Amino acid sequence: MLPETIQCLKAATRLFSQTDFSKDLRWLSSHGRASFRQARRCFIVSRCLTAKSPRPRIPRERVEIPGLEVITYGERMHYVPGLAKPVNPHWERDYKDPRYYYAPPSHEMPLYKDEPCYVFHQRTSALEGVAQALWLTKTKMIPSLPPQLLSLAERASNQIPDQDERVQTAIKHACFWDTTEEKPDKTKYCNTLLLNLLHLCTTLQTSHSAIGRRNLVDSYSLMASWKRGNDLLQIRGQNGLLLSCMDPLSEVSGKEEVRGTADHILETLYPVSSTISLQKVHLYKEEVNCSGFTDDYPYPHAHTIYFLEGADPRWKLRPEQFRAKMVMFAFGNALVRAHKLYGPQPQRELDHPITVQAVGTNGRFFHFLVFQLNTTDFSRDDGIKNQVPAGLSGYRPETFSKFLALYLHGVL
Amino acid sequence: MAARSRLPLLFHLKLVHTEAAAKKPAYPPIVHSLTAKSKAAKARQLEEWVKKTIASPVEEKLATITRMQRMKFVVYPQTFARNADRWYQHFTKTAYVSGLPEKFSLGQEKSTEEKSTEEGSSPPAATQATLPGIDRDAFEDIRSVVTRAILSVHWHTKKPRTFVYRDQEQMVAPFLRNLVTGLTFSLAKYNPLLLQASVDLNPQVNFYWWRGQRIIPKGHRKGRVEAHKFQIDDHPHSQIRITQQLPEFTSMEASYAAEVPEVTVAPNLMPLFRRQYENHVFTGSKLPDPACFGHTQFHLVPDRYRRDRMAKMQQLDQVEVFLRANALTSLFAWTGAQAMYQGFWNYEDVTRPFVSQAVITDGKFFNFFCYQLNTLALSVETDADNPRKNVLWGNETLKLYDRVEDGVVVGLNDDVIRLLVQFLINQP
Repeated sequence: MLPETIQCLKAATRLFSQTDFSKDLRWLSSHGRASFRQARRCFIVSRCLTAKSPRPRIPRERVEIPGLEVITYGERMHYVPGLAKPVNPHWERDYKDPRYYYAPPSHEMPLYKDEPCYVFHQRTSALEGVAQALWLTKTKMIPSLPPQLLSLAERASNQIPDQDERVQTAIKHACFWDTTEEKPDKTKYCNTLLLNLLHLCTTLQTSHSAIGRRNLVDSYSLMASWKRGNDLLQIRGQNGLLLSCMDPLSEVSGKEEVRGTADHILETLYPVSSTISLQKVHLYKEEVNCSGFTDDYPYPHAHTIYFLEGADPRWKLRPEQFRAKMVMFAFGNALVRAHKLYGPQPQRELDHPITVQAVGTNGRFFHFLVFQLNTTDFSRDDGIKNQVPAGLSGYRPETFSKFLALYLHGVL
Repeated sequence: MAARSRLPLLFHLKLVHTEAAAKKPAYPPIVHSLTAKSKAAKARQLEEWVKKTIASPVEEKLATITRMQRMKFVVYPQTFARNADRWYQHFTKTAYVSGLPEKFSLGQEKSTEEKSTEEGSSPPAATQATLPGIDRDAFEDIRSVVTRAILSVHWHTKKPRTFVYRDQEQMVAPFLRNLVTGLTFSLAKYNPLLLQASVDLNPQVNFYWWRGQRIIPKGHRKGRVEAHKFQIDDHPHSQIRITQQLPEFTSMEASYAAEVPEVTVAPNLMPLFRRQYENHVFTGSKLPDPACFGHTQFHLVPDRYRRDRMAKMQQLDQVEVFLRANALTSLFAWTGAQAMYQGFWNYEDVTRPFVSQAVITDGKFFNFFCYQLNTLALSVETDADNPRKNVLWGNETLKLYDRVEDGVVVGLNDDVIRLLVQFLINQP
């Protein structure tokens, strides 16, 4: 065996021997991660090429016995064996140096609040999925997309010339032709496919000039907050592509249907808490409402949000959780708009309900969603609810018609 | 024989010659051996390989040309090397012509007048006459598209503080993307090709070619002649690919008189480094894609080469050089790849010129370039008596706007917008 391996084995056995185990455990627990003393490589030419990091020193415990005066070697200005180590008073620099900055504990920070806030962000994986999202946003789910919306893409005047062929070319380009390798990797493929399909839809701008009144934004940070029952909730983060419009979307369900939702009883998640999987924070700003743009943005109305799944392999979401994320962020965008228009006070019924659409894909499956915000009063469980007509479709040609229909909503 | 019959001698001779011509040769032609250890055999092997490649279909041709991996110079379009444009002109046999071709040249005369007037509130009536088919209202719409693209990124969107050397990526890349997509769709009604076009965002363009030769100085192959191989791996910000080819800017014969700078020293002194990996020839999409011809590429100047940083390093003269080198290599690679997709290569030179355009910007300053590929025969054997040269046209830097103040764009330059429109409207 090589001498290095012998050394490593010895080190390993030493690590797991009885006497050292407790010391290492303490080290592990105090730092919250495993600091395994493996040899690391040194890229030096003049000395040996592997070295072990020095053993972490655990400082000796300082014992305070009241009544006993501690004799230190501080006055003598040098170490004297037998005398105690002097404790110096805490000293702070009078200028700010980022290299030597220690953050204060969270309860001393200025934004600390006793009441926790539950934050939903782009990496949250809601345990109960869509049911949890519907409860938190006080929404009723309607199983299918409204027919008048789907019929938008059926009309021949709204279809792209050679639609099937061009959709297939777009898919082939995203799947196979976009790279010098055999196949592009998944994130690239998803992105290219979505952009190709959007590009196809936007070519209708020559016949429908209202498409020119829209803008696609890649990264914008959304912030919205609301109170559901006794819990403070916030939505934050960059979620996806936003297609925003100069004109608002018309409502999808009429006034009677909206009033009819008052009788609907929301599905409770008992015994699971409704704020499960949401990040609990004590440091937050209250009443944040920011759509990611300034107030004089020429495209203030959010039209559709396009979610791409699988962008980061560490935070992959299951289909149910992905749909929940779509619902929450569509709601977040609508809520920010409502707060801007009607003020931050909860409104029982909005005069003009705000509609936001969402399309989510992982490259193979497409999820379509239309969210209509009818109320911003989330304190009680009864009353008018928001509505979500949603549908999921597999890989079929009708998918593009739905995509096109959602895109054209608001143009005509 | 002639003496026996009464016919004259010359008549007999003529009969003999015609008989010899009509008779097929009894033996095959005498050629050099294929397998001997000689220079002639090597030349014949090459000849056979060339004949086989010419006879094969395009996909196989590309695979055959790029199959053998050897050490090659990796040419970076965005390079820190000084005076890189002279070197790259030599490698790609390109002549640089200052100013854009006649199609876009009207913009040059107006630009000197426009620069004197600072405000861009209403364009003078003369500019409308230079844009065929676009009236004042349409131009106003296009101006508003550009203004909104600038404002949406620089004013309206709330962005966090930028990290070091990621300024361009966060601020300028989204602006350029919005500009490209906005202009493409607004101008689609004037250029129906754009409706069928494919707009790639962050595509890949690769090209592999041979140019020049050297004698190997050391090693087991010492003394042998080896061709210099080059590879370009480019990543433009975005590009538009169309289904039909753009028409040429000038005839191929007009390029015979153009001057290409000669560089007598070895390429690695530029500095240029050799690596060995897969040889790629790629326009942005594989062979089966119907949109195989290029229209316009858009490039972003990275943070490292921005004007203010170059000024701090006292290299302001290198700014234009960098832009020229970038346009040259990117467009050469793109047009070369397009030509190879059509079946032309080193030993089968192009029969028609391939044309593409490029816009290089750092967010505020725009440079426009046009490239015409007249020849792909760049290796030593094929370039010996090849009078054709490739041509690059480029104009001087134009500023798009001065600054953004209180949600209003100050100093919007209509020249730049007009040139952008002319570039995108260009169609066969």
